[in-house]
Amino acid sequence: MRQHSRRDFIVGSAAGALALGSQGLLSHAMAAEEPTAMTIAKWTGPKELGAEELKQAAIKLTEKAIEGLGGLKRFVGQGSVVWVKPNIGWDRTPELAANTNPDVVATIVRLCFEAGAKKVRVGDNPCDMAAKAYPASGIPDAVKKEGAEVLFLDKSRFRDTAIQGERVKSIPIFPAILEADLVINVPIVKHHRMALATLCMKNYMGVMESRGTFHQAIAECLVDLTRFMKPQLCILDAVRILKNNGPKGGNLKDVELTMTLAAGTDIVALDAWGAVVMGKKPTEISSIVKGAEAGLGKIDYKAIAKEIAVS
Amino acid sequence: MSRRRPGWTAAQTRRTVQIALLVVFFGLVLAVRLQPGTDQPGPLVKLFLVIDPLVLAATALAAHAVPKILLWSLLVVGLTAVLGRVFCGWVCPMGTIHDLAGRLLRAGRAKRRQPWSRWQLTKYYLLAAFLAGALFGLHWVVVLDPIVWLTRSTATGLLPAARWAAEESSTAVFQADPKIGSWRVSDATDPAYQFLRDHAFQAPGQDILNRQAFVGGGLILALLAVVVALNAWRPRFWCRYLCPLGALLGIVAWRPLVRRTIDKETCTDCDLCGMTCHGAAASAAGQGWKPSECLGCLNCTEACPRGSLAFSLPAPGRTQASEASLDLRKRALLGSAVGGVFALAVLRINPQSRGKVYHPALIRPPGSRPEPEFLQRCLACGLCMKVCPTGGLHPTFTEAGLEGLWSPRLVPQIGYCDYNCTLCGAVCPTEAIVPLTLDEKRTVRIGLASFDVTRCIPYAYGRECMVCEEHCPIPDKAIYSLNEWIEDRTGHWKKIKQPHVDPEKCTGCGICEHVCPFEDRPAIRVTSANESRHAADPVRRPLGNQPILPSSDADPYG
Repeated sequence: MRQHSRRDFIVGSAAGALALGSQGLLSHAMAAEEPTAMTIAKWTGPKELGAEELKQAAIKLTEKAIEGLGGLKRFVGQGSVVWVKPNIGWDRTPELAANTNPDVVATIVRLCFEAGAKKVRVGDNPCDMAAKAYPASGIPDAVKKEGAEVLFLDKSRFRDTAIQGERVKSIPIFPAILEADLVINVPIVKHHRMALATLCMKNYMGVMESRGTFHQAIAECLVDLTRFMKPQLCILDAVRILKNNGPKGGNLKDVELTMTLAAGTDIVALDAWGAVVMGKKPTEISSIVKGAEAGLGKIDYKAIAKEIAVS
Repeated sequence: MSRRRPGWTAAQTRRTVQIALLVVFFGLVLAVRLQPGTDQPGPLVKLFLVIDPLVLAATALAAHAVPKILLWSLLVVGLTAVLGRVFCGWVCPMGTIHDLAGRLLRAGRAKRRQPWSRWQLTKYYLLAAFLAGALFGLHWVVVLDPIVWLTRSTATGLLPAARWAAEESSTAVFQADPKIGSWRVSDATDPAYQFLRDHAFQAPGQDILNRQAFVGGGLILALLAVVVALNAWRPRFWCRYLCPLGALLGIVAWRPLVRRTIDKETCTDCDLCGMTCHGAAASAAGQGWKPSECLGCLNCTEACPRGSLAFSLPAPGRTQASEASLDLRKRALLGSAVGGVFALAVLRINPQSRGKVYHPALIRPPGSRPEPEFLQRCLACGLCMKVCPTGGLHPTFTEAGLEGLWSPRLVPQIGYCDYNCTLCGAVCPTEAIVPLTLDEKRTVRIGLASFDVTRCIPYAYGRECMVCEEHCPIPDKAIYSLNEWIEDRTGHWKKIKQPHVDPEKCTGCGICEHVCPFEDRPAIRVTSANESRHAADPVRRPLGNQPILPSSDADPYG
């Protein structure tokens, strides 16, 4: 079996990316200002919301959080291919908060096209059967309306990929995700008995197969995987969160409407924020601690995050 | 056949119908799968099974019950009473396969006379034996019913073989990723693969890689191959000598309304008709026509160079051929029936038949009736195995005793019982698996999970895992964890989560066993213990197969 490295994909697209990106880089350099690394959008509007109002609120939270980062033009190159990677782990409906909010995902797809993307692909490698988890999540319906292509990740079409981590040397990854110009990681904040919470870093487990052994050293494995994935943009959905019996849930009583959402480039900071939303200390979650130690980001999200009130 | 009369013949119409119905049959078996959007594959997928009168007869006798949908087979009985065994000659997909196999295997051989033989009575004696057994609750006739046999062979043998070939070859191309110049070969092979994957073998996104094969599917396929190969010796060997459905329809076709007429004026006794006869229905050239053996194939009318043969209703001015008796022997019939009852005893004198002893691996699909009733209805047709979206249902071999041969059991290591699925009950033609609503199904326990703490990673190796707990679909989790302090070999103490099973919440769906990182022999395994279909029976089985008492103070003996 041939091993594909991330370099193959990067070299291929480097020339185009340089040509497209130089102008943006230049203007940033002239402004001489550090771009915003993280935004937290918080709903300050009415507490009691009907289904349609909740949908509009989720859309607004997503829009404002991305706007606060400087818009998707900062990340999405003209004519680029974007892979939006939500959490579609389980055969559960959106109100059970086991999968990413479909309105959040659909809004990101729309903004990608507005920012000039040629193609937006949406897909995940569910734990439950994809044929059931996809439709149950409500995500395919929502994103197809915005023009995205929804892909099932065929288990026989993963390729063994060298990731050269400290713990994980090689795993099967779905090639089309690596071939995309940009992967936007869009997880949902959920309880997880073992990892305590499942957030941005853990969401990358949806690009791979053979993940059964990851749990034995979850933090180290997630650090290796995250380093390989080189996160550029993560959007952490906490419109609804799953507080207990995660990550699969199934009980409305375990779901809490927290009405907030964060976006940013620092995956560790985002996960630290997610931990706080879950009511945990970021340092309780081993992948956050190990991620910071490995230099993937900073735990102190408050130092970099810009809060945005949305109503 | 240079002397064949020109023009489109009735026999050619029959061949067209046969091929069309064979295609429909395979199409319907393919359609027995998860259908995204709708929940159920629709009642049409059972079509060939529910028009089979032998299924009706055997189920009615063995289970003393008639699932309403099986009454459609009375149409075939009516058709047979009027037209004779046209079901065998025109409709039966197994018959068509034998027909085709006979043509292929005997191509180039000289045609020869093939008068009726006494051996053709074998099928009637077989039928007598099986129906007598059915009277005492033995449903084994279905093992030899041609529609059931072909459905099972297609679902667990032919289709997996076709799928394996398509998947393995295209995956090999994809993984090797050969290129011709800048063109990838997989750009040609993968679209074909994707079409078959999403429109023939499974629903889009229904990933059942490594689950496309069935335990013992090779044996089922081999038996089909043997019976098809017998056509090399005698055309339509199965239909002529063995088929119990053919025998049943033969009895119905004792004196059909439409019969063969021979114009004695023009007939020269050349016996060209007899040489092409599917059923070997005539005992001599132009005479001794036995309606019970005639498959209505109309080859004789096509073969006759003088047009002396026709099939017609009784009408003034036409004389119908006199029929020759089948000459069934009363003593032989009685002997067969006794043999059938004796076979029942043979099949049942083993401890695990009929659920007296619960085989741990006999995890029946949700909604299955208690074992004795289940066996009186189950056809072993394989529809539930075909439809199971995780590929978890497999034919038994010895787990249910020989009486339950090829009936379904869940093999969680291969596929689990999906929390949001009721398909097996929906496709079962005889309600051996009672159709359940989703809410009902979620309360049914088909087994119980237990940990093998000599293998389970947190217990045996002191490392975190909890993959089973993560996947447990019960909203309140049937698997929970307790923190334990353990000492490792260096004397270092650490806290670790060790999983446990809550027997009141566990339904035995088996997803835990399925996802356990140990793929050789999972460290959490489901057995048939605690299944709700075998509740307490105060007289015979004080605890049924439910060793775990409910925690409420309800009296299990009450």
